Amino acid sequence: MRTIEKIKQEIKALGAEYAKIKSLAPEERKAFGESLNQKRQVLDRELQEALDAAEASTVEPLDVTAPAAANANIREVKRGTKHPLMTELNHILDIYAKMGFDIMEARQLDDEFHMFESLNFPEGHPARDGYDTFRTEEGFIPPAHTSTMQHRALKAHKKDLKNGGQIAVVIPGRVFRNEDVDATHEHTFYQCEGIFVSKDATMGQMLGVLKRLFEEYYGQTLKIKTQPGYFPFTEPSLELLIEKPQSLGGKGDGWLEMLGCGMIHPNVLKMAGIDPDAYKGFAWGGGIDRLAILKYGIDDIRYFESGKLDFLKEF
Amino acid sequence: MRISLNEIKKLVPAAAKVETAELVRLIGSRLVEVEETIDLAPKYQNVYIVKVVECEPIEGTHLHLCQIDAGQAVPVQVVCGAPNVHAGMLAVWVAPGAIVPQTYGEEDFKLDVRKLRGFESHGMLAAIDELDLGDDHEGIAEIDPSTDNPVTGQNVQPGDNFADVFDLNDTILDIENKSLTHRPDCFGLIGFAREVAGILGEPFQYDTCVAEQDKGQQVHIEIADPSICPRYSCAVLELKDADKSDKYLTATDIFLAKAGMRGISKIVDVTNYLMLMTGQPLHAFDYDKFLTVGGKDTATIGVRLARPGEKLQLLDGKTIDCIASDILITSGDTPVALAGAMGGASTEIDVSTTRVLLESATFSLYNLRKTQMAHGIFSEAITRFTKGQPACQTKSVLDSAIVMLGGTVVATGDNYAKKSTPAAITVTATEINSLLGTNYDAALMSKTLTNVGFEVIIKPRGDAAGGTPSARSRQASTMGESAAAGPVGFTITPPTWRTDIHIKEDIIEEIGRLLGYDNIPLTYPTRPFIGAHIPELLQLKNKIRDIMSGRLAAHEVLTYTFVSEKLQQDVGEDATDSYKIVNSISPELQCFRQTITPSLLEKVRGNLKSGHRDFALYEINQVTKQSYGKDEDGVPKLYTHLAYVTTGDFYQMKAALVALLEDLGFDADKLDFRTSDGHLPYLEPLRSTSVTTPHLCAGEVRNSVKKRLKLGAEPISAFEISLEQLLADLSESSKKSVKLSKFPAVTRDITLKVPAGTPFVAAKQAITEVFERESLIIALTPNSIFEATKGAKYRNLSFHLEFKSAKKTLESQEISDIMEKVAENAKKSVGAEII
Repeated sequence: MRTIEKIKQEIKALGAEYAKIKSLAPEERKAFGESLNQKRQVLDRELQEALDAAEASTVEPLDVTAPAAANANIREVKRGTKHPLMTELNHILDIYAKMGFDIMEARQLDDEFHMFESLNFPEGHPARDGYDTFRTEEGFIPPAHTSTMQHRALKAHKKDLKNGGQIAVVIPGRVFRNEDVDATHEHTFYQCEGIFVSKDATMGQMLGVLKRLFEEYYGQTLKIKTQPGYFPFTEPSLELLIEKPQSLGGKGDGWLEMLGCGMIHPNVLKMAGIDPDAYKGFAWGGGIDRLAILKYGIDDIRYFESGKLDFLKEF
Repeated sequence: MRISLNEIKKLVPAAAKVETAELVRLIGSRLVEVEETIDLAPKYQNVYIVKVVECEPIEGTHLHLCQIDAGQAVPVQVVCGAPNVHAGMLAVWVAPGAIVPQTYGEEDFKLDVRKLRGFESHGMLAAIDELDLGDDHEGIAEIDPSTDNPVTGQNVQPGDNFADVFDLNDTILDIENKSLTHRPDCFGLIGFAREVAGILGEPFQYDTCVAEQDKGQQVHIEIADPSICPRYSCAVLELKDADKSDKYLTATDIFLAKAGMRGISKIVDVTNYLMLMTGQPLHAFDYDKFLTVGGKDTATIGVRLARPGEKLQLLDGKTIDCIASDILITSGDTPVALAGAMGGASTEIDVSTTRVLLESATFSLYNLRKTQMAHGIFSEAITRFTKGQPACQTKSVLDSAIVMLGGTVVATGDNYAKKSTPAAITVTATEINSLLGTNYDAALMSKTLTNVGFEVIIKPRGDAAGGTPSARSRQASTMGESAAAGPVGFTITPPTWRTDIHIKEDIIEEIGRLLGYDNIPLTYPTRPFIGAHIPELLQLKNKIRDIMSGRLAAHEVLTYTFVSEKLQQDVGEDATDSYKIVNSISPELQCFRQTITPSLLEKVRGNLKSGHRDFALYEINQVTKQSYGKDEDGVPKLYTHLAYVTTGDFYQMKAALVALLEDLGFDADKLDFRTSDGHLPYLEPLRSTSVTTPHLCAGEVRNSVKKRLKLGAEPISAFEISLEQLLADLSESSKKSVKLSKFPAVTRDITLKVPAGTPFVAAKQAITEVFERESLIIALTPNSIFEATKGAKYRNLSFHLEFKSAKKTLESQEISDIMEKVAENAKKSVGAEII
């Protein structure tokens, strides 16, 4: 390549050429001028390139694999983490919100009325035993399911039913069961409840909505199936299963039990002051911990409440 | 509960035509969750019935050298150690190459030919326990020569497949009991089979409630309160061999084994067999002992609640203190059994028993549930009783027992104290279809119900609300649904055993379930264009999580809502103000937490222990205490707190706190850090602060608390905020829009030498108030706080100032004037000297 000096000289020499224009016949001047301008542009560009190259030659290369320059302090940019259960829960809540569901958070201490009575569990009924509830000295109950909030949600949103409206609410919350803890059992875990009430809610709508929910969550179309269940607060009651999604290694065969659901029992609607002859509804609820366990391949549920940084830093 | 598919197929011929996998799928999707499907056939491969032809003792041992006829040309030699082995008997032979059934699926012990005491032994003759059909290891299993082989249609022959003879080519379903809580009928094979027929669209033929006849003398039965015992039926039988155990392995033993039970004695086996078939538990008393206890020649059976202080010795030898809700069976007035749960020791049947009193009754499930919980009895019988066994079949089941036991009936009794007839339910086809979202026709609905024993009266269109039934039938009607003249209505009477059917939704469930929920077309509700409401508290929580886990590099943790009383005491909280769990798993999880920081401190300890340094944890969760009172629902008021704990000193924590509050929209300059109000007892008052807006406490953890929690000597700091309060404070401090000055800013660095003990904020204010008075815009950044030696009399506070006017460019004279005023004011306010 020519030196910067050389290019500059050529530019200077070219400048002298312009003086010749005057000596040319008028009809030749235009063509001659254009050819000079073209040469000038080429030279200008060459000069710029030469100057850039000269500038670049002073830059020192660095070791991109090192954390810092030699003799410099190594600075750590610390990273925080969000709890995987909260991340999964928010993911689900985002989907619900996009589908149009209001969100209402659950209480962590409630009473017998909300845990059982308002959900059509007869007093002293053995179905109450299935929930292994804790109790306080005063008889309050740390809820064993987020369904405990159904009555409150129905009452709070009853006004929405006017003029052909609907109740569409999801209720995330922490729930408690009196059971021994091991790798697959926790006494403290998270659930998300949903309720929908309208003049013409059907079981077909319920299954459609729930299928859609899991399709949004797993980002693929999914087959669903059901099995009969028993909950005093829904009639009919079912368990919903989804095809094991591809992201969890599903090949179209296995099934995952995701949640319990059913048409809201007329007594539950009645107790919240909603006429069960005029309105129908469906409700469902499922665990959040299991979604995170499946998604991240967590082999011990106890990690969630362990506060171990070794675990948290994985997320 | 374990269900044999072969038994179901015997009761439902149509089921035998369905592939096992499909049958299991249908049961799973239309009746109950099948937890596990167990194929028994592979377990009994290469197991044969054989005849012991020769049997000679091996000298000096307890062993016998046997030649057995296994249906092959030559006898096979087996060494057997069982005391009951003898020539001529039919035994069960596990051939070489077979896995001992007891070990199947576990250690899979495979038999071969091996030498025992110098003699070759081919396989083994098996005991009941080795066949995994019971616990008996007294001797080898013996087969009655008159046993039929259903495959050959003849009496059993040496060489016959053991599994063929005893119906072990079977599939066992392990059923999730919980989802049948409301279905007492399905706790018997007959009830279960009826459902299977219904699922297959076939009518079920088996009437459990057959006509009953009283025989012999009348037994007097006194039921104190029909609500605790709607019906009590009984019979006294004289038996020749009441408790003679069967010498042979019988079909009943196998039947019981498949259900997970064990053969015990003839009487017990018959009662268990009938319980498994019908769901109705039976109990047998020794009748003569029963009379002795009552002190009379004739029995008076009493059913009543326990009285205060009453005790009863049970069959298992334990003496219980009865609770008020326990139902007792009495002879005269003396308790002889804990109803539904366990018999008493005083009337136990034994080898000398000749007359038995058989009880077939039903009791209040509510009382039995309390009995179950109070005395910890979880038998197969009480499991069925607590589902609410129907009263309609006590007598017929008892009659079956009489037939099976084959003795002489001495006396019978039946007190049907509380008859209940199921109420009819009216529902329309439209109601059914509109709740399910289906389009089933009325005939299909009717047939589906009648198949499983419902009585259905179809009312024609336009007659749904009532009126005379015009078609009454157990047959399917051909009537379809048409909108022309109103919906087709049904009046439906549930069968007597369906104690769970009360309302039309129950009927809709039956139809939806039996026809398959999976056949319902999926749709969506129509939704109005209304945005979802996300509570402000949830939005705030998520914003905080973004800041904390993002720029503040903290780790979000979740810890238990319940903490130990000891932890609360260790950190100085008043544990008596906590809501306490009475049935907690451990003392570690007893008190509802009042604040979250103590839980985080425990997690700091664990993480320090595993080698982590320089970290911050936070948690957002609910807290409460009794002194917060109750809300309008009468439940404890709950608050959501954010707690943050870091392994750093006060100022490190404060920097994070200020950054958080600033990001949330608070003006950092207006945060009023005051001396601690001592609100959080675990923070050191001299090294902590309270802020009023937003209300919070922040500081270093007390040395004494760190010591008790084993947190080491390095500083640990924390803050805790109520988010409800924060939300309220935030709405008050909404940020205003800022007008930017287009004039250049002036920068100056100054250092104030102030007497030690001057609050930093006072020195800072001494500077800023001068600019504010002059209506200048000031940004002040602290550069350093310098103390020459510990305890020095003065400190040097250095600041970087950036100020400007909103109206004009400041002249140099104006600048030096203002700096002069700063110096004066600093001297006047805090005794500072500019250096």
